[in-house]
Order: sequence, then structure tokens, then C-alpha cells
Amino acid sequence: MNSLLSIADNLATFWNFTGFANAEPGHIVMILVGLFFIYLAIKKEFEPLLLIPIGFGILIGNIPFNEAANMQIGIYEEGSVFNILYQGVVQGWYPPLIFLGIGAMTDFSSLIANPKLILIGAAAQFGIFAAYIIATMWGFAPNEAGAIGIIGGADGPTAIFLSSKLAPHLLGAIAISAYSYMALVPVIQPPFMRMLTTKNERVIKMKTPRVVSQTEKILFPIMGLLLTAFLVPSGLALLGMLFFGNLLKESGVTRRLAETARGPLIDTITILLGLTVGASTQATTFIRWESLKVFGIGALSFIVATVTGILFVKFMNIFLAKGKKINPLIGNSGVSAVPDSARISQHVGMEYDPSNYLLMHAMGPNVAGVIGSAVAAGILLGFLY
Amino acid sequence: MTPTTQTALFIAVVGVAGIFVFMSFFYLIILALDKYLPYQEEKPEGEFIEEISEESEE
Repeated sequence: MNSLLSIADNLATFWNFTGFANAEPGHIVMILVGLFFIYLAIKKEFEPLLLIPIGFGILIGNIPFNEAANMQIGIYEEGSVFNILYQGVVQGWYPPLIFLGIGAMTDFSSLIANPKLILIGAAAQFGIFAAYIIATMWGFAPNEAGAIGIIGGADGPTAIFLSSKLAPHLLGAIAISAYSYMALVPVIQPPFMRMLTTKNERVIKMKTPRVVSQTEKILFPIMGLLLTAFLVPSGLALLGMLFFGNLLKESGVTRRLAETARGPLIDTITILLGLTVGASTQATTFIRWESLKVFGIGALSFIVATVTGILFVKFMNIFLAKGKKINPLIGNSGVSAVPDSARISQHVGMEYDPSNYLLMHAMGPNVAGVIGSAVAAGILLGFLY
Repeated sequence: MTPTTQTALFIAVVGVAGIFVFMSFFYLIILALDKYLPYQEEKPEGEFIEEISEESEE
């Protein structure tokens, strides 16, 4: 009889450790969200390199377990493997390394060839500051509002970097929101692009960009670094690495380093970043009214960024001579979702004139958007940290 | 308007202006690069040899 009772006790203890005993509705909701991300990545091919690790991370982070048992498996349990890997997010190590890889794969030629496009990348950052004001009005503290606003830059690493410094407790919601909207660029941007442009504007053909010399390409990142160092030193962690990566690419003598930065290094960091950010969305800390508000403001900031980019091109066109006008369909590319938003410009442009290739022109504001959102992050960090 | 919103507005205005200033500097740097270091088409090796031989004949 005693042995039977002992077996029953052991089974009861075992049951207490299983996911079935510890599952709460929040876990189920988050597991469904994780599965939805994986579905979007595989079926719709929306940013699969990001959504697969994040989606899988959400599953890992929301496996119900007995938190009191101190099994060292949760991302928030000090000393667990996930907690150690998560330090790269919390301490802000991963985003600069991602920027190094982005720099090593970015060609700034389209921007150097037509430098006025850089102003579109500046205008689109208005979304960040509009969201920052709205978040403040909605009751968020200034540092939280700054971190939420950066979602409008459509730049995952920048959003993670800034929120890890300004509002670590909102990091999961902000990161998931930023990456979701980046993935949803093909869904969110086109309606606003059509709504804000006339048929004549959509078929504007832009001049073929001039050829850019190698010397210009080499000097660009060096000048960029110096400019950042003197004007926005708080943006150095991101922009410094971006320009360093770009110099590795353009110098022509560090091919191996450039290939490592844009290949194995960025891939490794993307896996670690995606997985740990996904796992940080543990239902107990993630499912809150605040997270929903972050999602709402994030969507708004992304839309405002798209709209201001397009409207700014229309504004520029007032002053530009005939033949030098810019197609406003590239205004959406001022956000830094590279190269997705530039592809959207190309795609929508070709719907109205199949012979109009906007991709090379849209890449200009697109890479300017990467710089712009990092500058915005630097400014917010300078004011709110 | 609360003091927090006022501060937020101030930071937003400074932020947007700051980005435009930063990008305008970039714009000027690129214009300067184009002016002082314009793209020059590289001459094929054959042409270069011809030029040298012409110079030596002179």
C-alpha cells in the first residue's frame, strides 16, 4: 500500500513539472502567436530570416514550466543558457554587430549618386517623434515613449538597442512590434502610397544615376563616421559599426573581413537575437495592456513614417525643375526596412508603368533611412538616457 | 498641455531638426566629394601603354 502511495506521490510531482499542469491561457495565446510568425515566414515569406527565429523563440519562451522549481530553463532565470544569450540583447551587444554586417552588405552608390534623396530618409523619421509624443500623451514615461517611438524607424536592431537602454521592461513588446511591422511592409505601405499620389506622379521616370567613383565610396563611410562622432556621438555604437562595415566592403583590401561580417557573423547574431527576443515574450511578462498599446503606437508611427516620406517627396518636387522630379513612390523607402520598402516602391511603380524601374532610386532613401533611424536613436538616447 | 508633453514636443522638434542638420551635412559632403573627386573612367591598359610610348618618342 505504501509503495502504491509513493508511486502516486511521484506521479503527482512529475505532473506538477509538466507543461500541462503549468499551462495558462497566456501560454497558449503566445504559442499561437509564435506559430503564426512561423506560418507568415514559411507560407508568405515575410522576413523569414527574422520571423523563423523569433517565432521559434516565442514557442521556447512560452513552454509552461514550474517556475518555482528553479530548473534554469527560463530566459529570465539568472544563469540559464537563454539568460546568458539574452545578455547580448539586454546589454545591447547584438545590434551594433548586426549594423556591422548591414554596413558590409550595403552599397551607398545610389545615395552618393543622387544625394538629395538623403533628405527623404530624414523626413521619414518624423514617424519616430510623432509616436514619441503620442506615447507620452498616452501615459508612458518619457524614456518608455522614446523607446516605443523608434518602432517607426522600421529598424529592428535600432529598436532593440534603444529599448535595452531606455525601457528594458518593454523590450520584448517593442522588438516584436518592430519586427512585425518590418515583415508587414508589403501589406502596410502600398495603400498609403496609392492614396497619397496621383496617376501622373506614379509614372514619373527618374534619370539614371551617375557612376560613383571608388574613392567616393571609400571616403563616404570615413566622413560618415567623423560626422557622427562630432554631431551625434550617442549614435556611434550603431552608425560607427555601420560605417566600419561599409569601409571593410569598399576598401577592396579587406574582402575576407567584409565577407565574414555580412555572412557568418550577421547570420549568427541574427539567430541569437531572434531566438532570445522571441523567448523574452514569456506570457507572464508579455501579455499586458501595455504591450497592446505599444503595438498600436508602433503601427501608427510606421504609418506616419511612410506618409511623411511620400509627402516630403511631393514637397521637394515643388522646387525641382521638370525632368529632375522625384517619383513620390520612393518616399515610402525613407524607413529603414532594407531592401523591402525599396522593393515595394519598385513593385507599385511597375503596376502603373512596367518600364519604370524605381528600385535603384528607392535604395537611396532606403539606406538613408538606416542612417536616419540610427541618428534618431542617438538623439533620443542623448536626451532620455 | 502637461510639462511632460511640452518636453516631449521640444525633444521632437530638436530631434527632427537634428536629423535634417545631420543629413544636410552628409548632403554637402557628398556634393564636395563629387566636385573634388569626380568619377573618371579608367583607361584600358593598351591606351596607357600607347600614351607612354608616344611620350618617349617625343
